[in-house]
Amino acid sequence: MALIELRDVSKTYRRDAEEIGVLDRVTISVAEGEFLALMGPSGSGKSTLLNLLAGIDQPTRGTISIGDTEISKLSEGGLAAWRARHIGFIFQLYNLIPVLTAFENVELPLLLTNLTKKQRRDHVMTALGIVGLTERASHYPRQLSGGQEQRVAIARAIVTDPTLLLADEPTGDLDAKSGAEVLTLLQRLNGEYKKTIVMVTHDPHAAERASRVLHLEKGSLSQQQPVAVG
Amino acid sequence: MKFVNLVLKSVRRNKRRTTLTVLSVALAVFLFSALRAVLDGFDAVSAASSATRVVTVRSTSMIFSMPTSHEQTIRSTPGVEDVTWANWFGGIYKDPKNFFGQFAVDPVSYLRMYPEILLSEEDKKAFIEDRTGCIVGDGLAKKYGFKLGDKITIQPGIPVYGSQDYEFTIRGIYRAGSSAVDNQSMMFHWKYADERSTPKAQVGWYVTRVSDPDRAAKIALAIDQQFSNSAYETKTDTEQAFSAQFASMLGNLNLLLGSVALAVVLTTLFVAGNTMAMSVRERTTEIAVMRTLGFRAATIFSLVVGEGFIVAIGGGVIGALLARAIVNAESLGLAGGFIPMFGVNNRNVLVGLGLSAFIGVAASLIPATMASRLKIVDALRRVA
Amino acid sequence: MGLIGSYNLRSMIVRKGTAAMTAGGIAMVVAVFVMTMAIAQGFRGALVASGSNDNAILLRKGATSETVSGVLRSQLPLIEAMPHVARTADGQPLASPELVVIISLPRKSDGNPANVPVRGVGPRAYQVRNTLKMVEGRQFAPGSREINVGRQAVNRFGGLTMGSELKFGAATWTVVGIFTADDASFESEVWGDVDLMQPAFQRNGYQSVTVKLADPSAFESFESAVVADPRLDLKPSRERDYYEGQSSTTGTLIRIFATFVTSILSIGAVFGAMNTMYAAVAYRTREIGTLRALGFSRLRIISAFLAESVALALVGGVIGCILALPVNGLSTGAMNMTSFSELAFKFRVTPGLLAGGMIFSAFMGALGGLLPALRAARIPVARALREI
Repeated sequence: MALIELRDVSKTYRRDAEEIGVLDRVTISVAEGEFLALMGPSGSGKSTLLNLLAGIDQPTRGTISIGDTEISKLSEGGLAAWRARHIGFIFQLYNLIPVLTAFENVELPLLLTNLTKKQRRDHVMTALGIVGLTERASHYPRQLSGGQEQRVAIARAIVTDPTLLLADEPTGDLDAKSGAEVLTLLQRLNGEYKKTIVMVTHDPHAAERASRVLHLEKGSLSQQQPVAVG
Repeated sequence: MKFVNLVLKSVRRNKRRTTLTVLSVALAVFLFSALRAVLDGFDAVSAASSATRVVTVRSTSMIFSMPTSHEQTIRSTPGVEDVTWANWFGGIYKDPKNFFGQFAVDPVSYLRMYPEILLSEEDKKAFIEDRTGCIVGDGLAKKYGFKLGDKITIQPGIPVYGSQDYEFTIRGIYRAGSSAVDNQSMMFHWKYADERSTPKAQVGWYVTRVSDPDRAAKIALAIDQQFSNSAYETKTDTEQAFSAQFASMLGNLNLLLGSVALAVVLTTLFVAGNTMAMSVRERTTEIAVMRTLGFRAATIFSLVVGEGFIVAIGGGVIGALLARAIVNAESLGLAGGFIPMFGVNNRNVLVGLGLSAFIGVAASLIPATMASRLKIVDALRRVA
Repeated sequence: MGLIGSYNLRSMIVRKGTAAMTAGGIAMVVAVFVMTMAIAQGFRGALVASGSNDNAILLRKGATSETVSGVLRSQLPLIEAMPHVARTADGQPLASPELVVIISLPRKSDGNPANVPVRGVGPRAYQVRNTLKMVEGRQFAPGSREINVGRQAVNRFGGLTMGSELKFGAATWTVVGIFTADDASFESEVWGDVDLMQPAFQRNGYQSVTVKLADPSAFESFESAVVADPRLDLKPSRERDYYEGQSSTTGTLIRIFATFVTSILSIGAVFGAMNTMYAAVAYRTREIGTLRALGFSRLRIISAFLAESVALALVGGVIGCILALPVNGLSTGAMNMTSFSELAFKFRVTPGLLAGGMIFSAFMGALGGLLPALRAARIPVARALREI
């Protein structure tokens, strides 16, 4: 059963008097437990697609359903609440808050819940444990390497046990070794913890780790290439 | 409550900027509290005024005197319970800069009229019995190191009192029981001054206690009517009205101090607003990330306002406490004379804190609104 | 320096919100400064305008002001006889014996009683003080209970209009004329015949004598002549010096207040400017690195940022001056501590004050920009270029 259903989704931007089409009637289904890679040249709309899945942007046309919810119909406030519960987002530039420790960064999404302080602490340490950084809990981002920062970001993304993990070029800013570590971690989350992941990337090595790869070009899907799980 | 940590950490983001802003607010609150303290000082005198005392002066101007014969006439006015009088001596103690109130009074009736002058019975007796004795307020005694038994010399400043120096012995140090009297003055025997005066038998002002506070104004008028068409016409007012006149002579204080206070608030709003705007502008990506994590626009708004509030309150606490410690008439050397005792009391501190809270919130409103209205995708796109 | 100039200007424009707020803070401080100093200026101006260099005022030796001075009636003819005193066309000495007393009149603004000075003057007072002009009615006739009132007194206190009657000193006096005196303190006064004022207030004798000198530069010889005469225990001063001295107590008080308030305010504004400049430096770190790599010296960078900060502050200063201007000419009053009388005067915003305000704002800008400018210059070039 499909966890994610995009039906006929289009996105256009208006700049001055012009209308710029970024996505053109894209239809995709993603099953639960899939690890999907979205590839395409820059300007193909893949990041936009990810943003739509995360609910931080709204499609101009078409519908998006995730689980039982048609997110294209939610209000801003509804989206925020939904996002907090269901989405874990991993950014290319990690985007950790510099004045917070690793622990506090991971805890951030939990502040939106009703958990007690102790419960939050347990969740955070668990998440940090999964990414292998419990001993760095009290370090600040500037004290961490790029790879470690991204892993903290991943911990932040999974701490609420979200329905869906979205990753935007997660290895884009990392060296080969750190990048590989991160991808291994993602694979583990998908294989061991059964997390559904949609990852945008332009790196074929990264795409190899996914269970399915979709190509986007100029706003449309070009071909579906099932790739063997590697 | 769980967001407090987040707000506190945000404040620590740029320590220098936060410090400068906190100090700015602290200064503003300090200044504001100081001004309010002065205004409150005047209000306190007014509020402590006795409802049963009225003051009589020459109608042409209070600087002219009245004859002692007025006393009997005042006493005979219906509604009058007791009468005393006093003269402003205006002498020089060592240096003209050492300004304090010196009053020639009739000790027995004056102390009876002003129960707020707190003096032990034996000191009272000693003062009454010594023609050249005097009593000084404990504030004055502290300022000049006066002790019981000290001899002080005062040079007359007003030609009426002659040119010879006056020698006094301190027979009592009084405390002020309310703001109706100040503790920075000195009282001595009117007879001592009158002996050396030319002309004699002149009184500066009369103070009368009336039987019924609700009829004070009418009794005051009745007193004046006794002397209308005489050579020494009088003007009698309630104690409260009389002190209000004094305050108004110094200038339109409310307007002046109010305008300054306004300027202070505006300046600080600019400074604090600037800080908050900069703080928000630097964090557009972070704000977008938090929105992505599920933080709502309203929450972002509150976090920014919370930040402004904390910074401003920090400054407010410093400013208010500093004002409390430093700003009071005694330590500033402004005690005595025409400006009443003032100090920053607890209420002023609370007002100061309230002001800083207002500044913090007001300055943050626009930056907070802009932060909450941020379009997530635009903000995320900016960096990469 | 041309590059730096327009570069700074454009940078300021890009960050207009911040720049505006900083300028705003400085504008407020300058406005308060100018307004409060305008009070002091107005007060002092009113008194100083009262003193002419052509005149000398004689007080009893040791008297610090008219109110505590005394001149015997018998001393007047001696003074009038002195050759230093100017004379009218028909040989009358231009000397005015004077006595100032205070009456209580209600203030129009709040109804409270105010101390208004009543000056008994000699018959030729208007010629001794020739800045006075009658704008309504005529001079009081000597020997009569007629009085003249200064225009500012008419505006400020009740019951002084043309034809009104005042009761004081067990007599009734009629207002027959209103005069102006270039906003001098005399405009807060009521004038009448000194010989009638004396008995009205149970006084015997005058407080002072003001004379017009035949030769203003001969003051010193006049002074020595007075001092030499044993029958005259008087001390002459140039009228202008006397009035300047009179303004000092209250004037100083006002100025202390103004300085206190403005200093504290200015510190706040300087902090605001510092914040802005620090942020500007941080924001443009890469640009600074580039400029340095291109060969612009540290000193140039410092000057550029200092100039930017000062320019921004000057803009604030101009706004502040414009905000303060409207108070110029506003009438108000304050108590002159030395005479215990109320002086009506006008706020005076002088060009000097405005210039002072501008200099003050430039100073605040320089202070605020100094540390950030130094920081800008100290950024190592390589690091600056690496910054994103």
